[in-house]
Amino acid sequence: MSLNQIERAQGLRIRSTQDFAGGLFMILLAIGAYVFSWELPAGTLRQLGPGMLPKAFAAICGLLGLMLSLSALRYHGEKLAGWSWRGIFFALGGACLFGLTIRGFEFGPIRVPALGLMVAGPLLIFFSGLAADDRKLPELLIFAVAMSAACILLFKYALSLPIPLAPWLLGI
Amino acid sequence: MMETISHLSLGFGVALTLKNIALCFAGCLVGTLIGVLPGVGPIATISILLPITFGLDPTGALIMLAGIYYGAQYGGSTTAILVNIPGEATSVVTTLDGHQMAKQGRAGIALGIAAIGSFFAGCVATLIIAALGAPLTKMALLFGPAEYFSLMVMGLCFAVVLARGSILKAFCMIMLGLLFSTVGTDLETGQERLTFGVASLSDGIDFSVLAMGVFGFAEVLRNLENPEARDVVKAKIGRLLPGWEDIKQAAAPVLRGTFVGGILGILPGNGAVLGPFASYTMEKKIARDPSRFGKGAIEGVAGPESANNAGAQTAFIPLLTLGIPPNAVMALMVGAMTIHGIIPGPQVMTRNPELFWGMVASMWIGNLMLLVINLPLVGMWVKLLQVPYRLMFPAILIFCCIGIYSVNNQPLDVAFTALFGLFGYLLIKLGFEPAPMLLGFVLGKLMEEKLRQALIISRGSFYTFIDYQERPISLALLIVAVLVLAIALLPAISKKREEVFTE
Repeated sequence: MSLNQIERAQGLRIRSTQDFAGGLFMILLAIGAYVFSWELPAGTLRQLGPGMLPKAFAAICGLLGLMLSLSALRYHGEKLAGWSWRGIFFALGGACLFGLTIRGFEFGPIRVPALGLMVAGPLLIFFSGLAADDRKLPELLIFAVAMSAACILLFKYALSLPIPLAPWLLGI
Repeated sequence: MMETISHLSLGFGVALTLKNIALCFAGCLVGTLIGVLPGVGPIATISILLPITFGLDPTGALIMLAGIYYGAQYGGSTTAILVNIPGEATSVVTTLDGHQMAKQGRAGIALGIAAIGSFFAGCVATLIIAALGAPLTKMALLFGPAEYFSLMVMGLCFAVVLARGSILKAFCMIMLGLLFSTVGTDLETGQERLTFGVASLSDGIDFSVLAMGVFGFAEVLRNLENPEARDVVKAKIGRLLPGWEDIKQAAAPVLRGTFVGGILGILPGNGAVLGPFASYTMEKKIARDPSRFGKGAIEGVAGPESANNAGAQTAFIPLLTLGIPPNAVMALMVGAMTIHGIIPGPQVMTRNPELFWGMVASMWIGNLMLLVINLPLVGMWVKLLQVPYRLMFPAILIFCCIGIYSVNNQPLDVAFTALFGLFGYLLIKLGFEPAPMLLGFVLGKLMEEKLRQALIISRGSFYTFIDYQERPISLALLIVAVLVLAIALLPAISKKREEVFTE
């Protein structure tokens, strides 16, 4: 009996958690897309409606997800690895901070004035830089200022993109 | 022939203005600058640098983008040779012998031959584009919606088969891209689809948001997690110009590589990615002493690098003539062109000939620039490789953020991109390779449009796609698509495929 047959004889179990989770993920996405396009008329083949393709694609996605999950029961593959929450929090959080502060925003009682690139830039670099394991705060601080200055020169002056610099200070 | 020459001279007239030379130069330089960074391949480089072209006129912007593209390609090879980290699939092969050469103190020669081979391949590919451009565009006019649809189906099938890793997963990514492309207002009825009532989604998911989220942010998250051991070559770079012996050894591989890569690059679907693999395998088979390969054989750098560049350039052919991007990088070019108000397709050549031929000519100039500028700057690139990642990724992030903000001047887009970054990270964690998704996303809208047009013309009959009397081209394309999928799923071939893509 070859190794494969022995494996098969041991019955179904999840042999690749990564593929299995990937399949479930596709199925979930497909169900989500299907539910949200429920209201859209699919139309007929003669006259495709707005809902036809989203539903068709969602159905295929779901089917592929199912196949992927099932194949994970049979074939060996990668294991699911852990997440790095720190990277997500600092790097993506930094980007969100940039979005919030560049032109300011208002959300209920919270109010952030438009701070412009002069503040949003260093903020983004400093905050996201905290995600690195080997971060060095003084170095990061200097880099945040220098890099932002370079970006201001490049994007605002050399490329003249309409990006606010510091409306609260300079009025531009 | 005369026509080709007059077209090319028009193109060079456009590309050789001082401004456009400067743009091409700047593009090549920054393209290499970002492309050299380990773990940043051409897709990421172009998405990061997209915003710096926003302020330019369309011709200038495209010339600069083409420059960025070659720069990124070349930067990728530099990293592959010096650090043993391939920026993307096509430079995987270069690491095999290139890095070995570098370890033996012949890094300079490896870089030199890569640049010379690329330049030669680029020259040939430019000529091919110029020669094939006009006839293919005429052929494109024969294509009705049904043929376009079938062509895209075939392209996607190729992309599935040629993607790295599991076929099933690549298929998932393409379908997901297609699904994402349906978000937004319906073309005919104006109904909102899958927008969740978010106003900025009614125009569909923004291309740059998706690209920068999945290829900019998610890559940063991936790299943060595994601080890759950088095996930067300590040995001297040595002299750059290969000696007579080396050139004699490399000449034939360069020729063969150019030929193979150029032909594969034209294929819709990601044909260009096969070029370097095919060239490497071929050189190894032909070689008198195959055991030298993997130990620093110059043929193993010269052939694949030429194939890589030839394919990278002929991949423009389907894009420029049919308006169909063959791979993720070209999908990015479509996005860039659309931002500048140009819809790729056969009409570009007739309506904006100076743009079309200017771009073709600038490809050649770009290749020349890589040779004259980048080689002497190798020392600088090596220094750049030593910049620690802890400083590199915040810089990448701020470039992305400013870029996304500038597309629509919408701060909310930055948050969306962060969301897509998270999504891309999830995909990576689940073992999906996101490049095919981008291709599916760009082709999705076009496919839906053509599908509907074809069905209206045929009064709702799907038979129109396989009607061998009326539409033989469409039928043939679909047959090729089915064949490709079927062949790839054969056990013997799929095993071989795995070997090729893991080597």
